[in-house]
Amino acid sequence: MIEITNLKKKFRDNIVLDGINMKIQKGDVVGIIGPSGTGKSTLLRCINQLEQPEQGKIQMDGKEIDLSRKNKKEILELRKNTGMVFQKFNLFEKKTALENVMEGLLVVQKKSREDAKKAAQEQLERVGMAAWANHYPRHLSGGQQQRVAIARALAMKPSLLLLDEPTSALDPELVGEVLETIKKVAEEGFTMLLVSHEMNFIRHVSNRVIFLDGGKIVEDGTPRQVFEHPVNQRTVEFFTKMNLMNQPEYVI
Amino acid sequence: MAKLFDVQAVFSHLSEILAYLPVTLELAVISMLIAVILGLILAVIKINHVPVLTAAVNVFVSVIRGTPIIVQLYITYFGIPMVLKYISTRNGTEFQSGNVPGIFCAIVALSVNESAYIAEIFRGALQSVGTGQIEAANALGMTYFQALRRIILPETLTVALPGLGNSFIGLIKGTSLAFTCAVVEITAQGKIIGGRTYRYFEVYVSLALIYWVVTIVVEQLVKLLERKNEIPENAALVTERVCEAKPGQRI
Repeated sequence: MIEITNLKKKFRDNIVLDGINMKIQKGDVVGIIGPSGTGKSTLLRCINQLEQPEQGKIQMDGKEIDLSRKNKKEILELRKNTGMVFQKFNLFEKKTALENVMEGLLVVQKKSREDAKKAAQEQLERVGMAAWANHYPRHLSGGQQQRVAIARALAMKPSLLLLDEPTSALDPELVGEVLETIKKVAEEGFTMLLVSHEMNFIRHVSNRVIFLDGGKIVEDGTPRQVFEHPVNQRTVEFFTKMNLMNQPEYVI
Repeated sequence: MAKLFDVQAVFSHLSEILAYLPVTLELAVISMLIAVILGLILAVIKINHVPVLTAAVNVFVSVIRGTPIIVQLYITYFGIPMVLKYISTRNGTEFQSGNVPGIFCAIVALSVNESAYIAEIFRGALQSVGTGQIEAANALGMTYFQALRRIILPETLTVALPGLGNSFIGLIKGTSLAFTCAVVEITAQGKIIGGRTYRYFEVYVSLALIYWVVTIVVEQLVKLLERKNEIPENAALVTERVCEAKPGQRI
């Protein structure tokens, strides 16, 4: 179980996270939704301290880490146990797809070259990118790059996978392949926190949905509860607006 | 009356001058290697805003860039023996500070001078590496130095290479001032020959030719390095490697 307590983060005067508390069960796929600028991405980035919060603790695999303090050893340990998939893929540009996946295995997990290569090839196969192993990121499409990035995160065998809007930088055409990959990973039992604007996808892939607004969790429940019977006024407004956009332009 | 310009004299002393080319190259290569390492350290300090050290680096770069190299050469040539003598007398040892070889002083001065310029080249190149890749390395659990060595530096080098090539060419020509530290390299040898034959002009012309040819060679080497360091443009070429590695694999 992973427990986050009282996570607070502000950028200057702008309070982004206002005391987030949440417990994540092993194997949970938690979808995080909400309007722009409510701290969805910041929440993920605080969990592995890419962003340093003012306050907040995380308990993971029985160990508690104070996220507001710069303790290099603890933070490295935490990062080794979490995987991150970024909105803009962030692949290492001077390395091939295979080398991208191998990098963490070699440098962080200190595996031998052969072991790392074998493990990386397995991961690339898992995301359907084995045939592109020797291609550099700039020769891959956005969707392909993101699949390699997912393989890179999975190769580290993290206890928690953080996905920060993994499809929002992609052409509509390429979203499908990435969502398909994420769905497959979710079904394999990885614990995931998924920030996305793909409401339908969140609804199908996650077993718990959190609605963030103003740095607070205002809705927390199964996808059915949150999408069909939201209790909070802000959530209702959000879905109403979304539904308005989904309506046909003309009705005869 | 003797000829005003003796074309033959330009070439007749060439082999005598070229005998000292190894000294010139030694000065340039060793100084460059030290300068690159030193410059990189200075740049890393600067972009990470290390307290106190950053201020020291700023002063260092400002002083070095603000004084002529010939003055720096004189200062090291006279300064290093003085410092050594001071240390020696303080510790009661009998070190002969006059025995410090001139080439040592020249290398110190040239590498320190060049490091200030190279630090700025590296600073720009380091800043050009996207934060996304650094974050990705951090998220994998790499320490700063692991990320620096594995991810940031390879990309930094690509960006810095043209600037470093330029610096190296400047440095080769800078070695011509090493005679101020009593080092005989090609320029000093040229002066010696000039003094002997009074054909100063011809000797200087041949010196110019030598520096020019060396520079052309270096330019080509840098170009070669740049090309080697590029990401292959042709994706098909990369795919072929896959085919070779695993025959029969579906592409």
